[in-house]
Amino acid sequence: MLSKKECVAMLLAGGQGTRLGVLTQEVAKPAVPFGGKYRIIDFPLSNAVNSGINTIGILTQYQPFELNQYIGNGQPWDLDRLNGGAFILPPYQKAKSGEWYKGTANAIYQNINFIDRFNPEYVLILSGDHIYKMDYSLMLKSHKENNADCTIAVINVPLEEASRFGIMNTDENNKIYEFEEKPQNPKSTKASMGIYVFTWEKLRAYLIRDEENKNSSNDFGKNVIPMMLAENQNMYAYEFNGYWKDVGTISSLWEANMDVLYPECGINLNDPKWKIYSRNMAEPPHYSGPDSQICNSIISEGCNVNGKITNSIIFTGTDVETAAEISDSIIMPGAVIKEGARISHAIIGWNAVIGENCIIGTRQKAPVKGQWPIAVVGPKYKLEAGSILKAGEMIGGNQNA
Amino acid sequence: MPNIMSILYASGNESKLNELTLHRTTASLPFGGRYRLIDFTLSNLVNSGITSIGIITRSNYSSLMDHIRMGRDWDLNRKNSGIAVFPPFVLNTSREIYKGKIEALYTVLDFLKRAKEEYVVISNCNIAANIDFEDVYKKHIEKEADITILCKEGKTTTSRRIVLNKDTDNIIRDMYISESSSSDEKLISLNIYMIKKSLLISLVERSYARGYLDFEKDILFKMVDQNKIYAYEVPGYAAIVDDIKTYYGESMKLLNFDVREQLFGKENKIYTKVKDSVPTIYQANAKVKNSLIADGCIINGTVENSILFRNVRIEEGAVVKNSIIMESGVVQKDASLQYAITDKDVTISESRNISGFITYPIVIVKGKTV
Repeated sequence: MLSKKECVAMLLAGGQGTRLGVLTQEVAKPAVPFGGKYRIIDFPLSNAVNSGINTIGILTQYQPFELNQYIGNGQPWDLDRLNGGAFILPPYQKAKSGEWYKGTANAIYQNINFIDRFNPEYVLILSGDHIYKMDYSLMLKSHKENNADCTIAVINVPLEEASRFGIMNTDENNKIYEFEEKPQNPKSTKASMGIYVFTWEKLRAYLIRDEENKNSSNDFGKNVIPMMLAENQNMYAYEFNGYWKDVGTISSLWEANMDVLYPECGINLNDPKWKIYSRNMAEPPHYSGPDSQICNSIISEGCNVNGKITNSIIFTGTDVETAAEISDSIIMPGAVIKEGARISHAIIGWNAVIGENCIIGTRQKAPVKGQWPIAVVGPKYKLEAGSILKAGEMIGGNQNA
Repeated sequence: MPNIMSILYASGNESKLNELTLHRTTASLPFGGRYRLIDFTLSNLVNSGITSIGIITRSNYSSLMDHIRMGRDWDLNRKNSGIAVFPPFVLNTSREIYKGKIEALYTVLDFLKRAKEEYVVISNCNIAANIDFEDVYKKHIEKEADITILCKEGKTTTSRRIVLNKDTDNIIRDMYISESSSSDEKLISLNIYMIKKSLLISLVERSYARGYLDFEKDILFKMVDQNKIYAYEVPGYAAIVDDIKTYYGESMKLLNFDVREQLFGKENKIYTKVKDSVPTIYQANAKVKNSLIADGCIINGTVENSILFRNVRIEEGAVVKNSIIMESGVVQKDASLQYAITDKDVTISESRNISGFITYPIVIVKGKTV
């Protein structure tokens, strides 16, 4: 019998993230590199640990190997615990059946036994596709104070964008009376962040009922939450005011990385009180060569930089050769940018090689609606010397994958 | 799994390293932007499959304990074997802390005897190199050596260095101590030895009983004639850090690409304590050339031919040239620094101007504000 945990976190990390194209062809979205030395999953994991939650089930399904290896025994996040810690939870064969995770709620349903082992009061549901720093213990406190059955984290979005989100309509006490998925005419600007606290006993019962409904798509947003609301369960919104960004698309992934260059955006990673942990690659310090010109950029360990870099993020172990020019771009771990290559407004996948004098993301005269189309070179792709990749184009990936 | 264990001396040459070892052992001296000297030896051992490691300390060893903790960062927190740190042991017979390596080894005889491995690597912790001990072991067996001494071609310095003379078969015919600097290249001992454990134990017990103290003079030198001592030349870069001048010189060699390739080679990584710093940020006025820069720095000034450790801040208009700035150093606005080594947590105040000379770099003590 394991000792009781007040709150167990379940991190949904099985999504494919199709909108990230070649970047998520061989790895799950939460394993995508971010911010120079991190992966997307470092954010919810570090948040949970910093919030005092040290039992975390990580639900994997799509391309799990990279993620499994990255998480390992959870030690980089201080999750190698005697009691609790990090648990990778792939779908598994049961006595009567065995199936893939059909939806977010079904993924939790299939792991009811796992959660029951810790006999928790509360379950925190997280997803692996957002960049933010959040103290979940405050959300849990609000859940307890409201004596709620379910608390949903919300963030205020501009009214004109509200129709892209799941919107919570609440009373003055933040009690939710209505939930609208991507409403045409939003009545509020409180968008769901996909972070839920449930009283486990309640959620457990609803998951079982939801599973019995053959027409359900077994999704929290589409099925479980509307059903709980329809039955007048005590549901509250928890307002979060910090930086939060979904990195589900190429342009949002690019933007969120760029935000790291400007801590005034709200995502200051250099905060000793709220560190973001990641698995260390044991690389030496980076080297800036005699011809390097670097400004407004982040350079990680293990890089050899000898080119011109502006407004960019250079990830661990990248080589940038002489006379290469990189601006407004993200160069993921282990990439090699050969002599004279010019890269702007691009994401270069890990271990890609950009040949001599390639031109990537041709400059445009003016940004369209404040957004640049981002060129993407897939992981491990070798772009031949002298190639040109236009703004917004994507290259690489395995056609047979 | 090789049949080898290891004993490391954390101290040595502290008097010649002056201010840099006021608060620490030589083993925990910061080196190469994010490492401590002992990281190289520990990583080499672990990369060669040697995981039973005892570290003998003498004084000021709290920084070392803090760095190593349970050895997890080197994958040495093992169920079997792993790392053991020995604080100074007061011998019953002398009522004093050990003098010399022989007494030091005598204090850990139990650890040696208890270990199941048959061979021992004995090493100082003032070496930065990438050494494959499996290869050393192979040669040691092949040559049927009694002792193998790791060495490299190098210059003597004013610190105590042991010069080896070998024959064409790489067997050592003569060895002597040199304490004068010379620009001639000689075969210099790295003071890393491989020896059969049973032989080591009997040598230490015999020498201790006769009151001998010095492992090199009293044991090795006497063995040259009767025993087979094999000289193993370490391929690639190997630094011995034994005074301020060599510390500075060897650090600066890391700005060379080939030296870094040899030291941090792609396969045998050098591990160190993980601190979860953010990557380094270059701000709008950063001008950095030919420098090695660790994570967590914020740079908005000029940095040339220098090494910055973790979390260093270079403010606007500040100029740092030919210098080594250890962890959490701050060079404030318009200050300038040349040929300097600043220890941890040093602040150079606004518009200060500090300069040493290439052969005599100025050292600023830990925690000071200039």
